[in-house]
Amino acid sequence: MRDLQDRLGYLVLIATAVAYFAVYTTSLGRPPGSFDYLAILNTTMPLALVAIGQSLVVLTGGIDLSVGGVVSVCVAVTAATGGAPGWILVVLLLGAAAGLVNGLIVAFGRIAPILTTLATLSIYTGAALWVLPVPGGSIMPEVRAVLSNPNIPTALGWLALAVAGWWVLRRTRFGMRVYAVGSDETSARAVGIPVERVKTAVYALSGLCSALAGVFYVSTTTAGDANAGAPFILTSIASVVVGGVAFTGGRGSAMGAVAGAVALTLVIDVLFFAGIDPLYQSLFQGLFLVVAVLLGTAAALLARRRTT
Amino acid sequence: MNLPRLGMLFMLVVATACGTATEPPATAPEGKLKIALSNSFIGNQWRVEMENVFKAACAMPPYATAVECSVFNAGNDVSTQSRQISNLVSQGVDGIVINAASTSGLNGVVQQACDRGIVVVSFDNTVDHPCGLTVNTDQVKFGQQLAQFVVDQLGGKGNVVMVTGVAGTGADSDRNKGAKEVFAASPGIKVVAEYSGMWDSATAQRVTAAQLPSLPKVDGVWVSGGTDGVIKAFADADRDMPVFGGEAENGFRKYMAGTLTPQVTGMSIGQPPYLSVVALELARAVIKKEREKGNLTIPFPVVTGSALTPGETVFPDLPDSFFADFTDSGPDAILILCQEAATDGTPCPGKTLDVKLGAP
Repeated sequence: MRDLQDRLGYLVLIATAVAYFAVYTTSLGRPPGSFDYLAILNTTMPLALVAIGQSLVVLTGGIDLSVGGVVSVCVAVTAATGGAPGWILVVLLLGAAAGLVNGLIVAFGRIAPILTTLATLSIYTGAALWVLPVPGGSIMPEVRAVLSNPNIPTALGWLALAVAGWWVLRRTRFGMRVYAVGSDETSARAVGIPVERVKTAVYALSGLCSALAGVFYVSTTTAGDANAGAPFILTSIASVVVGGVAFTGGRGSAMGAVAGAVALTLVIDVLFFAGIDPLYQSLFQGLFLVVAVLLGTAAALLARRRTT
Repeated sequence: MNLPRLGMLFMLVVATACGTATEPPATAPEGKLKIALSNSFIGNQWRVEMENVFKAACAMPPYATAVECSVFNAGNDVSTQSRQISNLVSQGVDGIVINAASTSGLNGVVQQACDRGIVVVSFDNTVDHPCGLTVNTDQVKFGQQLAQFVVDQLGGKGNVVMVTGVAGTGADSDRNKGAKEVFAASPGIKVVAEYSGMWDSATAQRVTAAQLPSLPKVDGVWVSGGTDGVIKAFADADRDMPVFGGEAENGFRKYMAGTLTPQVTGMSIGQPPYLSVVALELARAVIKKEREKGNLTIPFPVVTGSALTPGETVFPDLPDSFFADFTDSGPDAILILCQEAATDGTPCPGKTLDVKLGAP
């Protein structure tokens, strides 16, 4: 049963994927084609990346609301500079630095993550508006062809890279420490884990993930918008929840969050092809979230009953 | 423990690589056309009216028999709207009419729609991509025209307040740019405050009420949206009523007409909700090859002075927040719609809709 909770994200993903396949095929009389898969992949990439970062922070028992601001500012800089490789590097450093600031305030300033990141969210969003006051900008076609090519699934390679990165990370000493801090901060400290440094690092990593998401966003949409990041705040948290990462910290995985992100994207398509009245779509999206979370809670309860 | 994870990844890879079903063929423009409205945000009065008149138009002749309409809302989330448009492309619609969540964020997917021969027309918050057509008003002119009215009324001398819209949007920056040009050109005019009312009457009222105590005598107010809220804040503070240049809120027009007191001198210009219907007509005409591809800029419906016609430019039985410019008026009207089209999205009884696009 413990496993069930850990795998919640994958189960939800499989269920929504099956539903998507079913409603698509009934609605159009043919299975989804390469165009559909590619479009899903490319539009999910930014959310999947933000969700990876968010899950790292949630694993330590924190939360990062500033992802919206970091994505916005990175989108703004990428679009304003046209996304030349040198500038992409600058954007990634910028995102990591923005995350680092969050981490330093949370870990050493001992200010609650929700307050810290709410404040920095405003700051980063403001900076994005300053860089790109009006939507626009561009991306080099070469960069787009490599990152989110609309004809070949190049993004799949990058997603695989992110998955591999997580896989390696969780087996390193740092990865273990992230789980240790999230499970029980006091005992982690007692066994000599530098809790502050671990926390600072996860926020910096979250910033880096948001920066990557920003670059992919510009690459997919071919332009930037200083308000681009705002939706990612709630959707990344929703992905993490659907992905079975516990808000108390220490349980779950970034891969679950990625599965959650893909599932959330597919829900939009399921509602579309099921012909749900658009006015009620957000209602159903909300219901989906509630059901997914309830499933997770039920699984956790069952697990507890077994162990006691 | 890690095997299922690898398995999932493998499944995803296979699913993506194997998806080789053929793309929908470009449908010949015969029979009933499929045109979809993809809207972003639906949570304000203007968007609701915009969708209602679209639905009403689709249910009225000639559209009732010529076009099969569908409507989708995405919220202010670019990725959701982008998914919906991708799905419309998969469905093989003939045309997509868009009010975008971001002027730039849909460029990628719009390009894909164009590549498949779908006619894309965006309006209000338009899409940048040159392959799509746009229907809009000139937002810079909106700012200029209202500012010029305020300057003229004040004889070129006085304190002016600017209530702006949602920062970061194209319409907001264009309107502000137009207004500032005019104010800057009149040395006697002093802009004493500039703040955002978020294009929302309640927000505009709250922010104005908060600002007023710190402001000197205000002679003119330029409002990008939420005009009735700003007037209420001035009335509540017992301030002298300045001259107003504002949007087309029904409440503002009630003040102008004297239905609500105090009566206000003003000019009301609106971004008309019927842009969605004009976009529908342009899409239909282009698909049917009755019209060359080309962008369209339509004139603003403008109302000044106190001679307002109930049922045409002001609606005493509709709420203040209603946008009174859901229908055009006068002899050169682009289109005429009835009240129930805007309130309920139902067709105007016994009427055939005639949308005049003007010369291409």
